[in-house]
Amino acid sequence: MKPENPLHLLSQKCTTGCPIIDRVLSGGIPCNSITELVGESGCGKTQLCLQLLLSAQLPISHGGLRASSLFIHSEFPFPLRRLKQLSLSFCSSHPHLLPSQDPCDFIFVRAVQSAEELLVLFDRIDALLTCPPSKLPVKLIVIDSIAALFRSEFENTPADLKRRSSLFFRISGKLKLQAKRFGLSVVVTNQVVDVMGSDGINGLRVGNLSSLYSSGRRVCPALGLAWANCVNSRLFLSRNDEIVSKDSGLVDGGDGGTDVVRTRKLQVVFAPHLPEAACNLLQILSTAKISRLTVALYSTD
Amino acid sequence: MEVADLPLSPSQRAKLISAGYTTLSSLSALSPPHLACDLNISEYEALEILRMVASQSSKTFGGTKAIVVGAQTAWDMLHEENFITRITTSCAELDNILGGGISCKEVTEIGGVPGIGKTQLGIQLAVNVQIPVDYGGLAGKAIYVDTEGSFLPERVFQIAEACIKDMVENSHFRRKDFQTCQDKLQPNAFLENIFYFRICSYTEQVALINYLDKFISEHKDVKIVIVDSVTFHFRQDFDDLALRTRVLGGLALKLMKVAQKFSLAVVLLNQVTTKFSEGSVCLALALGDSWSHACTNRIILYWDGNERYAYIDKSPSLRSASAPYSICGQGGNQISFTLQSCPEELIDQQDITIQQLGEKDIYVNYRFNVITGNLGQLNLVLACQFEGWREEQGGSVGQGTTAMRSSAHCSNAGSPLVGVRLPTFPASV
Repeated sequence: MKPENPLHLLSQKCTTGCPIIDRVLSGGIPCNSITELVGESGCGKTQLCLQLLLSAQLPISHGGLRASSLFIHSEFPFPLRRLKQLSLSFCSSHPHLLPSQDPCDFIFVRAVQSAEELLVLFDRIDALLTCPPSKLPVKLIVIDSIAALFRSEFENTPADLKRRSSLFFRISGKLKLQAKRFGLSVVVTNQVVDVMGSDGINGLRVGNLSSLYSSGRRVCPALGLAWANCVNSRLFLSRNDEIVSKDSGLVDGGDGGTDVVRTRKLQVVFAPHLPEAACNLLQILSTAKISRLTVALYSTD
Repeated sequence: MEVADLPLSPSQRAKLISAGYTTLSSLSALSPPHLACDLNISEYEALEILRMVASQSSKTFGGTKAIVVGAQTAWDMLHEENFITRITTSCAELDNILGGGISCKEVTEIGGVPGIGKTQLGIQLAVNVQIPVDYGGLAGKAIYVDTEGSFLPERVFQIAEACIKDMVENSHFRRKDFQTCQDKLQPNAFLENIFYFRICSYTEQVALINYLDKFISEHKDVKIVIVDSVTFHFRQDFDDLALRTRVLGGLALKLMKVAQKFSLAVVLLNQVTTKFSEGSVCLALALGDSWSHACTNRIILYWDGNERYAYIDKSPSLRSASAPYSICGQGGNQISFTLQSCPEELIDQQDITIQQLGEKDIYVNYRFNVITGNLGQLNLVLACQFEGWREEQGGSVGQGTTAMRSSAHCSNAGSPLVGVRLPTFPASV
């Protein structure tokens, strides 16, 4: 066994494609570690993941990994149309930076229905990682979502919970092993559960924020304390809708009526390399202009 | 005294000498089964020989010397304890309750929930152990055993930078040649002096801990071993909990031995788990009750409101106490305020004025300009860092950071003025 010199450790990061988020994450999603995205449905978790699949293909000089990616999904259906939309706008905004082919050629997708299936998949993943079917190596694994695999199968008895947490550690151990061997950046998404009452085990403070709020409700990440021990960094995405009347000047060209201002917020709950930080992602849903919804959410414009 | 002079039967003497035991000291540390095996005699016979050796050696060396090699009198130990070195945690209050820092020759376990700062404390210790002797450090090296993958070099670099800055600040009162010292202190050198092992399975972890003895005897300047975390791989595949307890017990013994032999500090980071007892759920450090005997000291990190606290849960020499500590981005040496508001894009650079510096409270006003239109509710976080704060008469030094949240509602572009009182300053400031 030989020690490594910390000076020579690679700390590569994969850009998220959004300068504001990149600044909060000091460059993006780090390699050799597991980053968890937590948020209620409709927060933009999958959206951010899809964007990562594309930006991973950017050259290293542009913050990417110059790599293809593997998307493991347990929530159905796979958002193929959205990916197609994003890849088109991605192609047009980075015309010279991408390999000549369609960006979707560098994204491998695999559906997984149970935790056992996921574990079996990890054993077979070596072939994909050592000799990738495309010309770019696989450097990014996204699992969307980890919570969906565990939320139905297990009961709330001590024996089941124990079996569940041992599965967490096995999955995380395998992921970290692969991440170390191949320099992978691993992203997993997780759902939230509501917190009832003020304390109890769900009200336990984990990380920088004493409590997490989304859509005005107090929430906490699913899968409990055991899973929180399995990830290296945890990012929390939340959203808040606020109804504002149009003549307040928030939206230009307002003609009366109301708008919904949706603020999405990304907060660092804990990460070994990041201070407590947050950024807002503002989005305005006009009742008249629903089409604006599809403007790429996590872009600066 | 030689074996040849012992009142033994000639055959036994011949066996001892042919097996290579010629002096008494070579015999005194042996156990009867070991000797029986070496000489091919019965265990009872071996025991008799060893008894003889013990009685002979106590006669020759007099009563004050230990009968068994390796044992010490309590008096000697007390004398030795005065020379035990400690590694500072860089937090004055935590050092206070620990009696100066993490002590060498002992195994210390630090546990807490995710995000409380276990890894940060681990990295800080790996850096602090390298503080040169001139600056009151140990000038040692560190072994960092990473089982979780949370060791990021960029963070180590930051901590090393802050540590150097601290050293330079504190020393410039008494040293004139600090400029030259500063040139010698480079963050990169701090990183190079950390031996980093990334462990991906429990078998590797066991193997590495067995190997530590050999590695450290080749690198004698290692003064701390940090295992971050000892738990992770042992929560995966162990259905046989009895086996897990045995393996962990073995590890703990090895680590204690290493700590004693090379007089270095061993720091084990541990996770927190929920424990079911009598139908209710409570928090406890992972790895079970039997593990709690494995470490000499046990420190638990926890949240109290918005402040992090460390609590000494178990220690043979320190009394139970708790102390607040904080984790900050970069060590600062003066009070500095930054307005961390979001989105940053929408706010112009703010100006912040300290309005009143009371005995314990500081009133701060901050003003900012909104660039793009209206924002509705703005969440503002005013972070305040203060380190090395020096009172003019008392000379006490305070350290820490605190953050105050407030929100301002701005309906149109303008410059709202928000006053904030920072309530949680420690008494020393």
